[in-house]
Amino acid sequence: MVGLINNWVSHAQLSVNEAEWLADKRATAIQQLKQLDDPGRKLESWRYAESSRLYQSIETVDSPQSLTDCIDEAASDVKIDECVIRLQDDGFVVSDECPDYLDVQAINSMSENEWLDLAFGQETVVNLANTALFNSGVFVCIKTNAKNPIKIVIEYDYKNNNQWQFIRNHLKVTADTSITLEERWLSGRINAVNVYQLEDQVSLLRHQKMSLSQTAQFVSFNYFEVANDVNIVTMNQHYGGGLQHHIHQFNLRAHGAKVKLGSINKSYANNNISDIVQVNHYSKNNQSDVTHRSIAKDQSQIYNNAKAVVAPGADQSVIEQDLKNILLSENAKIFSKPELEVYADEVVAAHGSTIGALDETALFYLQSRGIDVEQAREIMIESFEQEAVVC
Amino acid sequence: MLKINNVFAKAGDKDILKGLSLNVKPGEVHAIMGPNGAGKSTLGNLLAGMPYVQAQSGSVEYMGKDLLALEPEERAAEGVFLAFQYPVEIPGVNNMYFLRTALNSQRKYRGEAPMDSAQFLRMVKQKVKDMNMRDDLLKRPVNVGFSGGEKKRNEVFQMGVLEPKLAILDETDSGLDIDALKIVADGVNQLRSAERSFIIITHYQRLLDYIEPDFVHVLADGKIVKSGDKNLALELEEQGYGWLNK
Repeated sequence: MVGLINNWVSHAQLSVNEAEWLADKRATAIQQLKQLDDPGRKLESWRYAESSRLYQSIETVDSPQSLTDCIDEAASDVKIDECVIRLQDDGFVVSDECPDYLDVQAINSMSENEWLDLAFGQETVVNLANTALFNSGVFVCIKTNAKNPIKIVIEYDYKNNNQWQFIRNHLKVTADTSITLEERWLSGRINAVNVYQLEDQVSLLRHQKMSLSQTAQFVSFNYFEVANDVNIVTMNQHYGGGLQHHIHQFNLRAHGAKVKLGSINKSYANNNISDIVQVNHYSKNNQSDVTHRSIAKDQSQIYNNAKAVVAPGADQSVIEQDLKNILLSENAKIFSKPELEVYADEVVAAHGSTIGALDETALFYLQSRGIDVEQAREIMIESFEQEAVVC
Repeated sequence: MLKINNVFAKAGDKDILKGLSLNVKPGEVHAIMGPNGAGKSTLGNLLAGMPYVQAQSGSVEYMGKDLLALEPEERAAEGVFLAFQYPVEIPGVNNMYFLRTALNSQRKYRGEAPMDSAQFLRMVKQKVKDMNMRDDLLKRPVNVGFSGGEKKRNEVFQMGVLEPKLAILDETDSGLDIDALKIVADGVNQLRSAERSFIIITHYQRLLDYIEPDFVHVLADGKIVKSGDKNLALELEEQGYGWLNK
């Protein structure tokens, strides 16, 4: 245990109103933290991330770039039940129109049998700190009697951009339910753990919209526990930020599940983004398709990683990893890593990664039609991003 | 309209054009033929402003301006259009958006008001009809998933929408079947006018069966070695290029 962890542990305060089982979970996490080292370049998940920024104080915050909506329900005539949950300094606020079949409660009031223990270790030490320190978040349970499609929006809106906020959210979706979820950063320095517990035949359309101001920081661990025939389409947009570090872990423990993930990472100035996706194929007949598109400019840095692990016996798994990256300046850096660990015999898997500059011939093609070079670059970048738009 | 005077040019570090001269007047159609590696495509790329092709000496005057001093987008806005030999795919950007952006960029350069969506849609639909194109072309991403013939047709369609003053067609006929060749040729013939000129780069005489040129030039080793009328193309078809060296 050294500086950062020591600092975190010293701030851990057990709530007097908290259930004994939860206090035990925290105490166990604190004990585990004390055995571990601070995050640094020796760790695979932090090798290309500026972990020193976790310590830095953030003084000024500018406005982030606005993001376009990926999930478009404007074309549909179907009524959508929307529920906005705003996480803020004094807890959380749920919008009035939230339907009654949606049960939203504070995370620390959930029952012990609903809790999922996550296996954190040295690689995920920063996420482990969340278990020790989380003080906010929601437990959302969606029952099957929903009449209309559901859209849940989770917003992070904390006034203090310097102080870390540890937030844990848990979304439990019962069988045969379709749900759309959007996660938005508005302000605050966030360490979030999101648990998605998806029962049989659930359909989840998710959009993580993380457009951060230049110096803002967001660390997330997104854990998906996936049952039979679940269909997940998830779109991640990670723009800007002094530090963005996102891990998405999918555990495909049953059969017939499909995961389609598209990530767009865009960095400029001195931004630092890590986007790590791991899909664990534990059973037969599951599919995962991961697409990353990253664009780095100025002195910024991006790390993107797509890893699939196919366990012994998880035959008929189908895996695709497609990572493409564009560097827009000499000093920008991108580290791109597709990974396959296959222990089963009958698997279809493909992966690839490229890093390059904008295609000069395509730029010239656009210019030759009258489009100036700056706009031509924008069109090329937009075109490049489109390949990762999955919803 | 276009005066190319004794131009020497490199493509990368290779000397390709070696003293090429050519005059094109308004309304004329010039066919450029020649063996592989003669510099035909380099000429087209030089005129359109491809950065890879750099003039070493000589001059190119277009409508009274020094063409080589202009950026590629400025040349386009001044009315120069190159139909690419290998049109580029741009995923995620549909033809409609691309063409409107291009047209309005050119209009902005010329100090004209931009065309709004409704005006543009009307104009483009009429072009589709006039040029016998399929309208699904408009909704598809630029050249993505297009067959070789569709890409070439799309180039001619873009030319129809942008209405250039000088159109350079770089082997637009290569890879086309007879029906596609006729559609492309019809598109070009519809655009022929007293103010619009064409430079048609081709290997084969067959395109010239459908687009009648005013002049045929043979480009060999970086310069024009012979010029004539359309009968020169027929001679080349019969005898090849070897006799020119005798």
